Amino acid sequence: MSAPLLSIADLKVRIRGNPQARLLRGVSLSIDRGETLAVVGESGCGKSLTSLAVMGLLPDGLEKSGGVIRFDGADLPVTDNEAMRKVRGRRIGMVFQEPMAALNPVFSIGDQVAEVIHEHEAVSHAAAMARVVDLLTQVQLPEPARIIHEYPHRLSGGQRQRVVIAMALACRPDLLIADEPTTALDVTVQAQIMRLLHDLQDDMGIAILLITHNLGLVAQMADRVAVMYAGRKVEEATTRMLFAAPQHPYTRGLLAATPRPGRRRPGEPPLTEIPGVVPAITEMPSGCRFRPRCMLASDICALEDPPFVDGVACHRAVSRELVP
Amino acid sequence: MSAPRRNLPFRFIGKRILQAVLTILGIAIINFFLLQLAPGDAAEALAGEAGTADAGYLANLRREFGLDRPLWEQLATFLMRIATFNLGYSFRYGETISTLILSRLPATLLLMATSIVIALVIGILFGVTAARYFNRLPDRLISLVALLFYATPPFWIGLMMILVFSVWLGWAPTGGMRDITAPDGGIAGVFDIARHLALPALTQAFFYLAIYTRLVRAGMLEVLSLDYIRVARAKGISEQRVAYRHALRNAVLPLVTVVGTNIGGFLGGAVLTETVFSWPGIGRLMFDAMLQRDLNLLLSILVLSSVFVVIANLAVDLIYPVINPTVELR
Repeated sequence: MSAPLLSIADLKVRIRGNPQARLLRGVSLSIDRGETLAVVGESGCGKSLTSLAVMGLLPDGLEKSGGVIRFDGADLPVTDNEAMRKVRGRRIGMVFQEPMAALNPVFSIGDQVAEVIHEHEAVSHAAAMARVVDLLTQVQLPEPARIIHEYPHRLSGGQRQRVVIAMALACRPDLLIADEPTTALDVTVQAQIMRLLHDLQDDMGIAILLITHNLGLVAQMADRVAVMYAGRKVEEATTRMLFAAPQHPYTRGLLAATPRPGRRRPGEPPLTEIPGVVPAITEMPSGCRFRPRCMLASDICALEDPPFVDGVACHRAVSRELVP
Repeated sequence: MSAPRRNLPFRFIGKRILQAVLTILGIAIINFFLLQLAPGDAAEALAGEAGTADAGYLANLRREFGLDRPLWEQLATFLMRIATFNLGYSFRYGETISTLILSRLPATLLLMATSIVIALVIGILFGVTAARYFNRLPDRLISLVALLFYATPPFWIGLMMILVFSVWLGWAPTGGMRDITAPDGGIAGVFDIARHLALPALTQAFFYLAIYTRLVRAGMLEVLSLDYIRVARAKGISEQRVAYRHALRNAVLPLVTVVGTNIGGFLGGAVLTETVFSWPGIGRLMFDAMLQRDLNLLLSILVLSSVFVVIANLAVDLIYPVINPTVELR
């Protein structure tokens, strides 16, 4: 098998000047060309931070303190802003969570999409605009020739997310990072946007890193799933395996907390929640960070952080082979 | 979608002009009565300077100036003059008021334009830089300088500028607008005016600069944390472009409002600077008119000043939707 398109090895991110505040504690992920990897987990588990680290866009005050990110066979210079500018928008596109806030209110749609093209390619304005119209057609916006002159406030949330997707795909990147692309949209629009992403992926052969907490989307879209908890990956499997035989208690908790109509057995509660919340970064427990919320926790869980072995990081994980 | 928007400014402007006329009328009437409250009149001031307080002389002057007429009649005359754009005659200067104002207006406009442009360019540069280096050394320095300029009275800055640049260094004249010996045009003439303009323009600019810097910094800090800035960065564009194209345009609206207010208030606001530097502008004319109880002249300048404010406000309202398309005029 050839080298993966993107591979993240042991990525660590911490608050600058505070070695104790480890936000990412050695995350490893990899994505092949054309593949979709979903990263799931509760808010604050570090999934967005992972994607921002790949883009070299960590918020002020955070720093990458370890790990290697390789993209298309070369190290990605994530701390070198000038070098990363040639990657952002051209090799890696990104779609964000809040379409209502993702577009600059004072520039027309056409200008904003064309800006990516102008930044990375030497084309005339007319040629760039023609490509913008094509792109807007591709993301199935009605009347693209009119929309390029419109301003964001005249578009709906779903339309704006299509514009953001067009922007991310304008230079035909190899990888699209979609950070909660549909969370802010209503359900019917969610489905349309995900179908659009799926179709575009088929057409263009791009890989997608899908960050979400919506397991329904994962089931539809992803080839593989990585589950994150409190700054590290706790489980990874193909989508089919993960849903069929979740190993980590946290994954099982997530699945139990997801409504799955028609699968409910008599006497079973409709939804089970995972007790408690993700602990604050300053109050992380010893050993396994999921321990305080885990029903299966035993003495060893308090002593050491479980290593990631055979697709799961849990002392008490049920081996997949044993699952029928 | 765009058709009604194109028609809108005309209806908007029409409505605003009507409002403006009423506003100016109101201001004129209020000013008229306010000035009546001030003790003394032009006749007394003139007589005082002439050294005679003879009752007959005073009565004569008052009759000549129309000051003996009933108040309502004086008001009516005054309003008629404004309505017909014939502002009357200044007994003090022995010239028509329009001539006086027109001869002084260019100096004030020149001072205003220069100082506001200087303040805008430096203020935006400072504000953007401070925001980009939030809480780091450049931000600390710029904020300190802005605070100093903001807290120091402009007339004192003016006096210090004269002391340093005119008296000690001899780089610039202490006041006035041109040398008597300077040629009346050409490059030498322009250079001569520029030399005189430098200190008053800078003095006035420093004060505005302080306000503009703080406004732009605050606006930029707010905008730079917004999602679309991160989206812009994810496109691979330069930090420079992110700051000056994506963020500044969104952060600049409050600045437009304040610049509009400064332009509107300039006739009055420049009194101190014009006095310190003997700049032959409207501000000083107004100040002198007040001292000499030349109420006709003073009232005319006040009305002109209110016209300025109204025009500046209208201009600001029209510029708003150009800068930010989410603002719509109605």
